[in-house]
Amino acid sequence: MIKALLIRAGELLFVLFGVSLLTFMMIHLVPGDAAQIMLGASDTSPEHVAALRHRLGLDQSLLHQYLLWIGAALQGDFGTSAWTGQPVLHEIAGRVGVTVELSVLGLTLAVLIAVPLGCLMATLRSSVADIAARVLSVIGVTMPSFWLGAMLLYGAGAIMPRMQVVGWVPFAQNPAANLQRMILPTVAIALPVLASLSRVVRAAMLDALSQDYTRTARAKGVTEWRVVFIHALRNACFPFLTSLGIAAGYLFGGSVVVEQVFALPGLGRLMVGAIAERNYPLIQAAILLATVTFVLVNFLIDLLYLVADPRARTS
Amino acid sequence: MPRHPLLWTGVALVAAQALAALLAPRAAPFDPNVQNILARFAAPTAAHLLGTDNFGRDTLSRVLFGYRTLFAISTLSVFAALAVGGSVGVLAAWRGGWADKVAMRLMDVLFAFPVILLAIGVIAVLGPGAASTAIAIAIVYTPIFARTLRAPALLLKDSEYVTAARAIGARDRRIIWRHLLPNLSPIILVQTSLSLSTAILVEASLSFLGLGTQPPTASLGRMLAESRNFLALSPWPAAFSGAAILLAALGFNLLGDAAQDLLDPRLRSQR
Amino acid sequence: MVTMPQRLPALAACALLLPLSAWGQTLEIATDQSPNGLDPQLATAFSTALIDSNIYEGLTAIDQDLRVVPALSDRWTVSADGLVYTFHLRNGAVFHNGREVTPQDIIANLARVRDPKTGSPFASRLAGVKDVSAAGADGVSITLAAPSAPFLAQLASIAIVAPEAIADLGSKPVGTGPFRFKEWVPDTDIALERNPDYWDKGLPALEGLTFDIVPESTAREAGISSGTYQLLPVLDATSAVALGGQPDVKLLETQDLAYSLIGLNTSRPPFDKPEVREAINMAIDRAQLVEAVYFGRGVPGGPLSPALTQWALPTGDFPCYKPDPAGAQKKLAAAGITGKLKITLNVLGSVQQVVDVAQVVQAQLNQAGFDVSLNVQEQGRFIADWRASNFDGFVSLNSGGPDPDDYFGRTFQTGGATNVFKYSYPALDKQLIEARAATDPAVRKKIYDDVQRILACTGPVVHLAYGALFAAVRDNVQGFVPMATRSLRALRATTLAK
Repeated sequence: MIKALLIRAGELLFVLFGVSLLTFMMIHLVPGDAAQIMLGASDTSPEHVAALRHRLGLDQSLLHQYLLWIGAALQGDFGTSAWTGQPVLHEIAGRVGVTVELSVLGLTLAVLIAVPLGCLMATLRSSVADIAARVLSVIGVTMPSFWLGAMLLYGAGAIMPRMQVVGWVPFAQNPAANLQRMILPTVAIALPVLASLSRVVRAAMLDALSQDYTRTARAKGVTEWRVVFIHALRNACFPFLTSLGIAAGYLFGGSVVVEQVFALPGLGRLMVGAIAERNYPLIQAAILLATVTFVLVNFLIDLLYLVADPRARTS
Repeated sequence: MPRHPLLWTGVALVAAQALAALLAPRAAPFDPNVQNILARFAAPTAAHLLGTDNFGRDTLSRVLFGYRTLFAISTLSVFAALAVGGSVGVLAAWRGGWADKVAMRLMDVLFAFPVILLAIGVIAVLGPGAASTAIAIAIVYTPIFARTLRAPALLLKDSEYVTAARAIGARDRRIIWRHLLPNLSPIILVQTSLSLSTAILVEASLSFLGLGTQPPTASLGRMLAESRNFLALSPWPAAFSGAAILLAALGFNLLGDAAQDLLDPRLRSQR
Repeated sequence: MVTMPQRLPALAACALLLPLSAWGQTLEIATDQSPNGLDPQLATAFSTALIDSNIYEGLTAIDQDLRVVPALSDRWTVSADGLVYTFHLRNGAVFHNGREVTPQDIIANLARVRDPKTGSPFASRLAGVKDVSAAGADGVSITLAAPSAPFLAQLASIAIVAPEAIADLGSKPVGTGPFRFKEWVPDTDIALERNPDYWDKGLPALEGLTFDIVPESTAREAGISSGTYQLLPVLDATSAVALGGQPDVKLLETQDLAYSLIGLNTSRPPFDKPEVREAINMAIDRAQLVEAVYFGRGVPGGPLSPALTQWALPTGDFPCYKPDPAGAQKKLAAAGITGKLKITLNVLGSVQQVVDVAQVVQAQLNQAGFDVSLNVQEQGRFIADWRASNFDGFVSLNSGGPDPDDYFGRTFQTGGATNVFKYSYPALDKQLIEARAATDPAVRKKIYDDVQRILACTGPVVHLAYGALFAAVRDNVQGFVPMATRSLRALRATTLAK
């Protein structure tokens, strides 16, 4: 098992290296650079652009720039933001909290609703209610979150015009104001996750309910409620765990859009902004961080799976 | 009730919308790009069944043509991803060894990249447009197909009939085409239809971020993205283009879902 | 749209949290884009100017009526030959770090802007400056190579920064303005606080300003309707119409100096032919465009903004402004073009209004027998192509200047700094040089009338429309007026009633 872990860790490093190289190549293939955008569409001569480019270090060869970057990054120095001059890690650190809070709230809401809903869907299988529940969950998955977000904003404005629905107040500064502003974003980001999780729960429950041990339990006279929520649910945990890893990816993708809609200062917005501004050091570090998180979460889930399920260990 | 209500609902939804896309030039009551400022922000009426947008363009006609764009982009990109990703997955499994390791780690790199950012990056490089959108989505889905197909291909590779085929001296190519692929087809079918339903959403999200197709091309994602700016003036274009996207994604999703149920032997035996 | 299960928890939570929304004397301003760095001598974006206009001042300033007024310099004299300007520095003007502004600071600032190594886009505004020197303990004299009528207006765009803060200017600005920099959280907000040492005693009235970056128009509208924000400084017509009926929200309006335009590359076919450029002008229906994009709240525009009342000619003076698709076809035939003329227009995608303008222009041109495709680009790519003159044509939004010379010179003169169209018309060049040297307003006016007539129909820019510039404020915001230049100078005198 140690060996397997080491191999996984090696693969992980390879993936991170690949992601950093890919990011680097991609952002440098995009036309326009930070110097041009900073100066804007105004009257500057090519010499002016060149001067600024030199100051930002954009006039060196790509390979040179990449080696410089990765050399520093390996020592924990991710450079300074091309626009604000602040250390990149400092800028990112200020944003992580928002995305984490949004993700945690969204995931919590999703799990709280998805588990009972999935169980319900599994027990009601093949009836009209099941179809209705499934169609609803598919709608949840297929509803674009920016559209849902805009609709929620519009709806909230029509129903409760005085409710504070946009912007960000740090939780530490004013918990109530923070939570009030997080209600709509949480709903917007939770819905697709909720819908997909409830489907996973349903499938896993169906599987568990058809197993021998549930039949045995039923035969022994255990109530149907206990069969579903105690025996079957416990065994439905594993596929559920795996899909949580995928949900982490979902949440991140969703946060890019939801943060944009509700003007939340999270990582997703930071990245979209950094790409538009060609803020290379920031893009590099932020994408690497997002990837590390995604890969680590899935790695941990694999690990959990390995530890918890003896069958997975042998295969 | 028919035996597989979900499957048939999915088939009917997809077929109806594909038909709408095919017949759009004949069925649309107006030219989707003709503007009529005087008639803008109209609610649904007899003349404009689904109302009009901020330029007075007929929403119904734009939705019908929007289906064309939608189907073109999502099917092209998903099939491209299937062709490339699927080949990588199957060949990696078949070859094994270093080829397998290198190919799959490369796929991991793409897979680990945040989906929407990968798509944004690709479009930033290529410049926005329908073709770039399709390429971006194809790149996003390639590792998914590679990963989904590699595992079952590995199992099949060691199965008795493949070993038997090898023993009688069949060539690799023949074994892959005649034995591996037919057995993988259920998985391909399920993954393809599920990917189609999410590809539709990626296209919509890209349009929201100002990427995606070029105006005035009627694209459902773009319609939705543009119409959110004037929700307060007229909610109809947003509502109808949103509903159209939902129905399209719903159709593919039901199809994939039902296929999964039908093809999973354990669940099938229960019916 | 909002299903009940989603609405219920939101309702319940809202009822609990409602009483907690309150604010101090800081004005919350929602704007759509982050500034492109805060260095006022490097960045020219609207988003930067919006914020910098509160932190910095120039020697002169432009007021609400587009007149030159004193700022850091409270009075000045001009020599009889129009070559030497002597500015007296205002007593008590200090930088935000507490240091008094000296003539040496002004000299250092002008030198930085003019230094090619700085790469300042404002360098061209000082191109005519020969020498800058101190004039006593509290004066600066600037000598020009030739008389320049727009010089005082151009100086207003040169913000004076504290020379010792130059290294960090992009992120930690130090100026002399009514507000000083407090904090910048990228893509989130920029906070400014009251400058207690401002020379205009008693101002500013507000404790601080917070610029919240809110990219979605729906969110900005919801934010001002609910009172999260108290000022939306720049609104497009769609938002203005949407906010029209909101209680507690007031709409303010002025004529915008910025205008929508089609820029044409005169170094490439087909726009190298003046007839083709004229045909585009004739094929466009500007009144319809104003109705469609600006909801009627704008005016078709010629080469100069109607806000420049003493200079701008009425559009009736330009024959090609009368929509005439048939005439456009004739012009094309005269240029030897048969069949549908295919053109591609780059479009600045970061501003929805520009994308809307482009779609209307496309529809109109296509109806007049052109075959137009649009290439909506994100800002970075658009600017890269623009700078490299890598386009057939483009649709964009330009900020106009308060003085005709400044705009005409750099945009249309051969080799001008923003002449990305590679337009060259020697007769026009001669007139522009003549006008700049003329100090008699009547002479300048006559020349500029001619220049406008030339540029309107066959120039490289198809001027489309000048929209009304809207701002939305909560009812308790007093003393704010929007300015045609989009400067937020008025904020120094703005107050917030409880």
